Amino acid sequence: MVPAVRFSGVTKRFPGVVALHDVSFEIAPGSCHAVCGENGAGKSTLGKLLTGLDCPDEGTIELDGRAVRFARPAEALAAGVAMVHQELASCANLSVAENLCLGRLPSRWTIVDRAAMRARAAELLAEIGAEIDPSKPMSSLSVAEQQLVQIASAVGSGARVIVFDEPTSSLSDGETARLFDLVPRLTARGVTLLYVSHRMPEIFRLSDHLTVLRDGEHVATRATGEMDERELVQLMIGRRLEQYFPGHLTASPGEELLSVRDLACRGKFERISLTLRAGEVLGLAGLVGAGRSEIAKALFGLEPSVTGEVRARGTPVRIRSARDAMRLGIGLVPEDRKLEGLVLSMSALENVTLPLLETVSTSSWVRKRDERAMARRYFDRLRVKVANADAPASGLSGGNQQKLVLARWLAAGSRVLILDEPTRGVDVGAKAELHEWIDQLASEGHGILLISSELPELLHLSTRIIVLRQGRMAGEVSRGNATQDLLLRMMAGLAAT
Amino acid sequence: MSPLADRLRRAASALARSPQAGLVLVILVAGAGLAIAGGSHTDPASGATINNFLNAHTLFQMATDASGFAIMGVGATIVIIAGGIDLSAGAVYALAGVVMAMVLRAAGPLDPAVTVALGLGTCIAVSLACGVANGVMVVGLQVHPFIITLGTMWMLRGIAFVASHAESIPVPAALTHVAKASIGLGATLSPVPLLSMLAVTLIGSVYLTRTVMGRHIFAVGGNPEASRFAGLPVQRIKLGVFVLSSLTAGAAAFLGASFYGSATSSDANGYELYVIASAVVGGASLTGGKGSAVSAMLGALLIVLIRQAIRTLHLDQNYEWIIIGGAMIVAVVLDQGGTKLVARRVAAAAGRRPSSPTEQNPAPESR
Repeated sequence: MVPAVRFSGVTKRFPGVVALHDVSFEIAPGSCHAVCGENGAGKSTLGKLLTGLDCPDEGTIELDGRAVRFARPAEALAAGVAMVHQELASCANLSVAENLCLGRLPSRWTIVDRAAMRARAAELLAEIGAEIDPSKPMSSLSVAEQQLVQIASAVGSGARVIVFDEPTSSLSDGETARLFDLVPRLTARGVTLLYVSHRMPEIFRLSDHLTVLRDGEHVATRATGEMDERELVQLMIGRRLEQYFPGHLTASPGEELLSVRDLACRGKFERISLTLRAGEVLGLAGLVGAGRSEIAKALFGLEPSVTGEVRARGTPVRIRSARDAMRLGIGLVPEDRKLEGLVLSMSALENVTLPLLETVSTSSWVRKRDERAMARRYFDRLRVKVANADAPASGLSGGNQQKLVLARWLAAGSRVLILDEPTRGVDVGAKAELHEWIDQLASEGHGILLISSELPELLHLSTRIIVLRQGRMAGEVSRGNATQDLLLRMMAGLAAT
Repeated sequence: MSPLADRLRRAASALARSPQAGLVLVILVAGAGLAIAGGSHTDPASGATINNFLNAHTLFQMATDASGFAIMGVGATIVIIAGGIDLSAGAVYALAGVVMAMVLRAAGPLDPAVTVALGLGTCIAVSLACGVANGVMVVGLQVHPFIITLGTMWMLRGIAFVASHAESIPVPAALTHVAKASIGLGATLSPVPLLSMLAVTLIGSVYLTRTVMGRHIFAVGGNPEASRFAGLPVQRIKLGVFVLSSLTAGAAAFLGASFYGSATSSDANGYELYVIASAVVGGASLTGGKGSAVSAMLGALLIVLIRQAIRTLHLDQNYEWIIIGGAMIVAVVLDQGGTKLVARRVAAAAGRRPSSPTEQNPAPESR
C-alpha cells in the first residue's frame, strides 16, 4: 500500500538550531499517527513542514507517493492537507457559518447569499457530527467547539490529511472526550491524522502508530500497541524515569500554616474550610468550573468580594491584595503562566525579582548587583537552565518558565505555596523534575496547596485530597483511601463520603 | 593599552551594542550629509566661511526646537511603556502656559526669583491636576486612554482658549532671562533648553531603568495580569504614568513660554503627535513593555533634523508634512528590521551554546 505521507531524510534548520535532522518515516492512509516528543523535539516543526508553514531544507515529503513541496498553507490545503492549530485561528467576531465558508463565501453579484452560506455550514458541521448552530458568533463557542468548526472546515475543504497540533492543550476533560469521539469517525472516512502531542493518555487511546522524536532526531516509529507508557517516556526523554516514593510523606506534618473557614465568593464557591500544615501537600481535585482556581486566587487576595475566616499561623488575617498575601508568606503559581505568571517581555531575572524589588533597593534605587545575586541564588537552587538571565522569559521552555514563578515565591520567603496546575503544558522530563521539587519543598517545611486536573499527579504527591464539586467541598480523602475511581466519582457527584 | 584608551574602547563598544546605536548612526549620517549638501555662506561681519548647517546657531536652534518634543517625549514614552497613550500632552502644555502667564500677570511685578518660582509652581500644579484627571478617568472609568485623552485634549485646550480669551499673554522678562541665559556661551547662544532636555532625559532614563517604579511600569505594560498576580499596585502605576506625562508637558510649557516670552491657547498645537512620533521613532512599542527615554530624545532630534534639512536644503516648505510623515514610517520600519536582526543574532548565539537544545526551547518550537 502506498503510504499517505512519507517523510524521507527531512532536515530543517533554524538560525542557531537544527529543528529536525534527517527524519524519515511513513504514515499509512486512514491511520491516526501520533508524533511524540518533549518540547523542542521538533514535533510542531514536522507539522509545519507538512502544512506549508515552512519548507524543509533537505529531504522530501511525499503525499500518496508523489513528492510535494508547499510554499504556502494554501497550497497544502489545495493538495488536501489541513491543520488544526493549538492556538485557534478563527475570526471570533464572525459567525460560525461565515468562518466555515471564509474564502469561498457563496455570493450573488458580490452580495453574500446568507441562506446558501448557512446551509453549506450546517452540512459541513453535520458531516463530522458536531451539533453547533452555524448562526452563532464564533466568540460564543467554547474552545472545543471552535476546534470542531476548524475540523469541519478542514474536512469540508476535502482534506485527506489533517494535522492536529496539541489539540487538547486548552480543553477541559469533557471537551477532550468529544474530540476523542471524532478521531475514529475521521479515520473511518479514510482521513489520515497526524496527531502531535506529548500527553500519554491520549496518545495511547487514539493513535494506532506513533513516532518518537528527540532533539530533532527520529528515535522510533512503531505500532502503539507494541509499546507501554514507561517505554515511550524513556524514548522521549532518552533516559529512565525513576518512580520514587515522595519523601515528605514519611515525616509527620508540622505547625498549621493556613486555616480557612467558610470561605465564600458569590457565584464561584461557598463553605470552603481547610487547613494546611507545614510539610504537607494538600491536593485540590475537581472538574473545570468546580472553583479550584477561584479559591487559589481568593487565598492570594485576588478575589475582592470573598468572605469567611482566614488564619495565617493561628492569627486571623484579611488578605485584600496579592501584596497582603505575599507579606503573610503566601505565594501563588497561577494556572496560566504566560498570561498570569510571567511578563514575557521582561528578562528571566526581572521576572523573579518583580515583586521583591523593594528588598534589593535603597530608597527605590534598585541595587542591580544584589538583584542579580538574589535571582542567581534561586536559579541555582531550582536548577533553572537559562543561557542568559537577561534574555526575555518568552524564550524559555515551559518547565523553566514555571520554575521562574516558583523561584519568585521562594525568594519572597513564602511558606505557603499554592500551585495551580503546575505541570500543565510542560514536557515529561520537566514534569518529573517539578514533582521532585514539590516533594522536596514540602520536606523543607513548606505547606503546598496543589491544584491539578491530573489525578495520578494528585495521588502521587498529596498527603490529603479535598474534592470540590460546583463550588462546594464534596469531601476530603486521606492518602490511604484515595483512588482514581473514588475521586472521579466524587468529582462527578456520584459518591458521598 | 592605557587604561583611558581601554575605557574609551569599552564605552565605544557598549554604545555600538546599545539599542540606541542605530538611531545615533542615522542622526550622525543625516547630519554629516546635511553639512556637506547644505553648502556654506560668508559671514558679512567677520568674512569667515560658515557651514549652513554645522554652525553653533543652527545647532542650538535645533536643540531648542527639539527640547519641547524631547521633554514631553520622555513622558509619552513612560505612558507608552505602561501600555497607554496620552494625546492630551499638547493641550496640557497650552493650558499650563496660559494659566502661568495669567497668574503672573495678576500677581504684578515681583522679585525675579519669586516670579520664576511662582511661574514654575503654577505650571507644575496645572499639569499635575491635568495628569491626575487623565489617570483617574483612565483607571476609574475603564475606558481606553486613547479616548479619555482625546477628550481631555479638546477640553483642556478649550479651557485655555476660554480662560485666555484667545489672547497672547506676555510673561515677565524675569522668566525669559532664565530661559535665554547664555551661561558664558556668548550673548547669542541659549543653552538652557538643551540642558533642560538632557536633564529630563537623564532623569527619565534613570527612573525607567534603575528604580523600582520604573521596573513596575515595564511590568504593567508587558503584562498587566501577571503584574497583578505578582502583587504590584497596577491601578496606581497606570494612574502615575499619566501624571508623569502631564508633568513633562508642564515643564516643557514653562520652558517654552519663558523662552518665547508669551503664552497662548494655540501653543503646542499638534505637539501630542510629534511627541508620540518621537517615542515611537525611538523604538517604543505601542503594545507596551518596551521603550527608552534616551531613544525618545533621539527620536525628537531626528524629527527636528528632518525639519531643519528642509530649511537648509531650501526645499519647498510646503512639502514638510509629507517628508516628515514618510520619514517617520521609514524610521520605524528600519528600527523594526534592526530589532528582528538583533533578535535573530541573539537566538543564533544562544543556540551555539553548549547546553542542551531541549531546555532552551528555541524559536522554531515556540508558537
